Amino acid sequence: MPGSIPIRVQNLCKYYQVHQKEPGLVGSLKSFVKRKYADVKAVDDVSFTIDAGEIVGFLGPNGAGKTTTLKVLAGLLYPTNGVARVLDFTPSERRAAFLRQITLVMGQKQQLAWDLPPMETFLVNAAIYEIPDDQFKKTLAELTELLELAPLLKKQVRKLSLGERMKCELTAALLHRPKVLFLDEPTIGLDVTMQTKIRQFVAEYNARYRATIILTSHYMADVTALCQRVIVIDHGKLLYDGDLKALAEKIAPHKLVRVEFSQALDGQRLEEFGEVVKMRGQRAELLVPRDATSDVAARMLAQLPIADVTIEEPPIEDVITRVFEQAARARAERGEAEEEEE
Amino acid sequence: MRYLRLLSIFYKNSILKELEYRANFIANVFMSILWLGWAIVGVSVFFLHRDKMGDWTYPEVLMVVGLFTFFNGVMEALLRPNVGAVIEQIRDGTFDFVLTKPVNAQFIASLRSIIVWRLVDAVIGIGLIAYALGQLRVTPTPTQIGFFVVMLLSGTAIVYAIWLVMVSFAFWFVRIDNITELFYAFYEAGRYPVTIYRGVVRVVLTYIVPIAFVTTFPASALLGRIDQTTTLVGFAFAIGLLIASNRFWKFALRYYASASS
Repeated sequence: MPGSIPIRVQNLCKYYQVHQKEPGLVGSLKSFVKRKYADVKAVDDVSFTIDAGEIVGFLGPNGAGKTTTLKVLAGLLYPTNGVARVLDFTPSERRAAFLRQITLVMGQKQQLAWDLPPMETFLVNAAIYEIPDDQFKKTLAELTELLELAPLLKKQVRKLSLGERMKCELTAALLHRPKVLFLDEPTIGLDVTMQTKIRQFVAEYNARYRATIILTSHYMADVTALCQRVIVIDHGKLLYDGDLKALAEKIAPHKLVRVEFSQALDGQRLEEFGEVVKMRGQRAELLVPRDATSDVAARMLAQLPIADVTIEEPPIEDVITRVFEQAARARAERGEAEEEEE
Repeated sequence: MRYLRLLSIFYKNSILKELEYRANFIANVFMSILWLGWAIVGVSVFFLHRDKMGDWTYPEVLMVVGLFTFFNGVMEALLRPNVGAVIEQIRDGTFDFVLTKPVNAQFIASLRSIIVWRLVDAVIGIGLIAYALGQLRVTPTPTQIGFFVVMLLSGTAIVYAIWLVMVSFAFWFVRIDNITELFYAFYEAGRYPVTIYRGVVRVVLTYIVPIAFVTTFPASALLGRIDQTTTLVGFAFAIGLLIASNRFWKFALRYYASASS
């Protein structure tokens, strides 16, 4: 039944025309008279589907096309090519019935009225979404409790801290209890405690309403805490779609072996066990091929004066970095030397 | 109904916002009175030397000035704050939040806020029209008042349509301050009856930037200088412009690029 899959994206492309300018005054004058345009492929032939109740993390460096994909799904941008379907609507038609069921939260943009207390914006949204009074009160009470909003409701927005403002932004965006949430860097600029709170809240909302959520974030902790599944995008292309743990296994064919020696080494021999990433005093970290980990550990124990040894998955940040390095290398090999933005 | 409710909430919020900054309010009432004074002084000086401006007498010209002031108030209260806000939102990308709401985007974009104290201008304008009528010792017939109302509404619609088209340009050019300034330059010309202008200028002011419909024609209606046909043409013209501007707005929306992330 197609209705059960809330998000379907097929061969989605979004190209921007960007006018190019040489640096400096002369460049500016030239581009004022005659503009050169170039197509930037922000999203290039991306396909995926997301099931109801899933939380999916979008990963990718700045300018990879994550936000553009989100914006196409939220109906803000017209796709250049391909199909996007959300809740069986075509987002770019921006039907009211569609917009009622989704929400978009952006860490970098705010919808709260700056000079007024957040409550005023909530009331405006209640009217816009035609939320019945009793439901509005109930939802607001729930959100107030989950996010500890009570002391903030009557302060002017301009007097709130960044974290407090983000909590109110989330509230404003969720009053109508959307089924599909697009969260674009909702934790940007927040301190660790606040990040954790927002994360817990997103998880709670997902569990309570079985909402489908797409999350982009630069903080891997957000993604590892919330998403089982990730979609990795780079230069508009989909690089990986699947389980977060499996990504580590697929991309990072290594494990991290940490060793502590009981006495200083003679300075030799460590390289033969694996790639040395760190060596400080009597501690070292090595990358060892996944299949060989136990062999290598055994050999090290036999041949080196070892006090302690641990074997771990490499940090997910490193895995992701590796994904992008591989992609860049692949592009270079294909000879795609066209000047990229950023 | 729902839209009326929204409108009342929007306006309530705008008023709350204005009340945050009290000094602004008082300063602007003074500004309105000062500007009106200047306009009247200008006209009076002219009439010290001549009996007629084109074929308009002093009180008749005052009526045009009244309409000019009225529309200026309406524009400043209803159009300029919204247009300004939309341009700002397009520039920093927060227009996203307008587009993701299940309400007609044109409605939010053009009626989201109001600067109430600017309506003082509109009231002063009406007062001036009434005063001019008194000076003329003219009591308009019901038909004339009917034509006047139709012309007034058409004028409002025309001004709105022009603004909407200007805002739409912001989707491509982002900064359109100079386009709005250009419009104001034309609008200034509406301070006097367009019939005093000749040739190309008059054609431009009637059909290209149809300021004539906003100030001169309603005044003419009240003075019985306009017949049914002209009124109907004006009305049809307004409807046509409304439809065209709505089409253009929808077309322009496709080019919204949603700045930054």
